[in-house]
Order: sequence, then structure tokens, then C-alpha cells
Amino acid sequence: MSEPTPKHRRRNTRNWHRWLGLVAALPLLWLSISGLLLNHAEFFGLNEAEVSTGWVLKRYNQVPEGEPRGVQVGDRKVSQWGVLLFLDHEDLQLNGNLVGAVAVKNRLVIATDERVGIVNGSGEMELDLDELSLPPLPVEGVGVKGEQLVIRSSGGTYRFANDFLSFEECEISLSTTSLPLLGDEAKDELESAIRTRNAMPLSRVILDAHSGKIFGFPGTFLTDLAAISVIVLTILGLRLFPKRKL
Amino acid sequence: MGNPIIIPSILVSATASKLRSLFFVIALLLSGGSAFSADRVYQKPSDFIRGSLGEIPANKAIVLDATQQKAVRAILGKRYKTTSIRHWSVGKKTAFILEEIGKTEYITTGYVVSGGKISTVKVLVYRETHGWEVARPAFTKQFEGAQLKGGNQLSRAAKNIAGATLSVRALTKLARLALYLDSIK
Repeated sequence: MSEPTPKHRRRNTRNWHRWLGLVAALPLLWLSISGLLLNHAEFFGLNEAEVSTGWVLKRYNQVPEGEPRGVQVGDRKVSQWGVLLFLDHEDLQLNGNLVGAVAVKNRLVIATDERVGIVNGSGEMELDLDELSLPPLPVEGVGVKGEQLVIRSSGGTYRFANDFLSFEECEISLSTTSLPLLGDEAKDELESAIRTRNAMPLSRVILDAHSGKIFGFPGTFLTDLAAISVIVLTILGLRLFPKRKL
Repeated sequence: MGNPIIIPSILVSATASKLRSLFFVIALLLSGGSAFSADRVYQKPSDFIRGSLGEIPANKAIVLDATQQKAVRAILGKRYKTTSIRHWSVGKKTAFILEEIGKTEYITTGYVVSGGKISTVKVLVYRETHGWEVARPAFTKQFEGAQLKGGNQLSRAAKNIAGATLSVRALTKLARLALYLDSIK
């Protein structure tokens, strides 16, 4: 097989340059425009503008997947949707899977398998109890007996003191009930509240669209391809740059 | 006349044929990639308390009154996540497990205060994607010996870490909070 002549090699390079340039044109145009917008985000007011479109929020896991479940305690509703926990329509800063919620005296006690949150009458989190203040995890059930908090965990059943900071083992049986699904109306209300509260700044959305992350792996992959195209186009361009020998 | 542009031989070689170009592109793709980190659990809170105090004493809680909540707000720039804050004491040592948001996620940090000075700081759970460098002992050791001066400020400031500014601020605020809580417990 004969070596390609310089003329042949040059034509080859030009072909690669032309087609690669055509394929990469659209992604590169987007990268350039979004890059310019981001560079002047303040001027365009992109930090203040917000996006609350459903699919965008889903990309940021702001609207959870699956069906929300919850429990009504008096006039408060504790619910879990995906990994997020809510007290009425507000985010609840508590980790774990919701096990249940009960009213103890004038407080609301919310139990997940790894934490117990004590919420006072004004809706403020009074205590966030973790493994240091709880019986052996996971928490499996929560109830009330004689105005005292009772928790069933993997280690047994425990009755808590009035300040919730200490507990002792007891022989009380707690029934296990699964959390019911929220009705359509309650779900819509929750989703609407989430979308309003969790709207994303437009600058963040453009930044993630710029890097491709908002579209997941395919987006990142395409952005990588566009970036690599620039490198290859530069190399091919440099190869084509020298004047043709006459 | 010679070629005026000097092209590295590896690039010339990489683009000499279609097959080589394809190989070059794939190699570049495979060498890239981003890493998304999950929660970094450095130590369980119970292990921190046991390691710092030698045992896990009964937990107590400081119930913040209105004046104390105001002071806490001044330190953090907002309310603390709970209105009661647990602590564990053995002798002069008092340990706190405190949480503050770096950028979007909580950073769980253990502080031990002894005689009005910070004696130990350890990041226990780091949930942010960037700024985990604050968990390095080289950073947390800067807080050791720090105490409160006027305006609930630290007697010595920790140096910033580029790219972890918010996490550095969060840990500094929590150090001030730990010292303040120790003074009112």
C-alpha cells in the first residue's frame, strides 16, 4: 500500500475540518451564546429571574418522583415525597424515611427511621434527635402513651422523658400502620408549593445547560464532544494553515 | 522555505489518518468525566463524642430564650435549625454537634470547648459537592485555641480555602456558636 501524498493528506484534512465543523456548529453556537449570557448574567438580570417549569425542577430533583405519602396530626400534615419531607407545605429538615408523627402534649413529634424531630406549636423545630439521643436505629414506630412519647426501634420499645432527651425500655405494644397515599388534591397543592418555593435561578439553569449537566449524561457527553471538536478543529486548522507548496 | 508553524509531533501523528483521529478522540473522551460525590461521612457523631470525651455522657439541651436566639441569629445571620441545642459534658470539656448550610447542604461538625477555648473541631458529615477540603485537619486545627472576643468574634480567624469559601464561613460561624453556647450552658 502506497503512502498518501501531501496533496491527498491535505484534502483529507480539509474534509475532516469541513464535516466536523458542520456537525459541531450548533453545539458550539449554543456554548458561545450561553457563555456570553453567563459572563453578563448581572446585566441581563439572570440571577433574579427564576424558572419554575416542571421538567426543569424535576431535573434538579426539586419535584420528587413517585407518590407522596403522609399522615394528618391535628391540623398539621406531615408527608414524604421521594426523599423530601414536608410539614404542611414547608420543607422539613429531617433525614430518613418517614415512619410516623404524633402529637405529644403541645408538640408534634415526627419520626423517620434515623431521626426524630420535635416541632413546637409555632412550627419551629425544637430538637433534632439523632443516634446520640435515640434507641438503637432504625426507628420502626412512634406512638403516645399517657402523654409520653413511645418509640419502637430495632432494639425494643422505649418511653421518652418529658424533655425527649432520655428514654427507658418499656413493655408497650405499638401497632404498625403504613402511611397512606396523599389524595390528588393534596398532591397538587404540595407540588404547586414546591414549584413556587423551589424555582431555580435562570443563571443556574443556563450554567447547567452550558455544561450539559441539566440533560444528564447525554448532555455532558455532547458538551464534551463539542469541546473536543474545537480541539480537533484547531489541530486540523493548524495542519491546513501552511501555504500549499507550488 | 521550512514550515513556519511548529506542530507537536503527537498532534501530527494523531491526525494522520481517520482511524488515528478516532482513537485520539475516544482516548480524550475516556480520560475526562466528572465525579459527583455523595455524602462524605468522616465520623459518626457518637464516635466523635466518645473519642473526644472518653465516653458518651447523658445529653443535655440548651433551650434558647429570646435574647439568646437573637445572639445566635447575629452569629449565624439567621436562626439555628433548632431552638434547643444538645451538648455533652465531661469535666470541663463540652462537646457540640452543630449543623450549618455551606451552600445548599448541611455540614455536620463536632466541636469540643474546654475552658472557653476550642480544643477540637472535626467535620463529621460533608454533603456539599465542593469544598470538602474544610474537613482536612490542616484546616480544622486552625480553630484550636480560639476563643470569643468582642461581638462574639473569634480571637483568631481561619484562613480561607479557595473554592470552599462558603464552607469555611459555615465552620467559622459554628465555631463562634459553639463558644457562645458554652458560655451560656
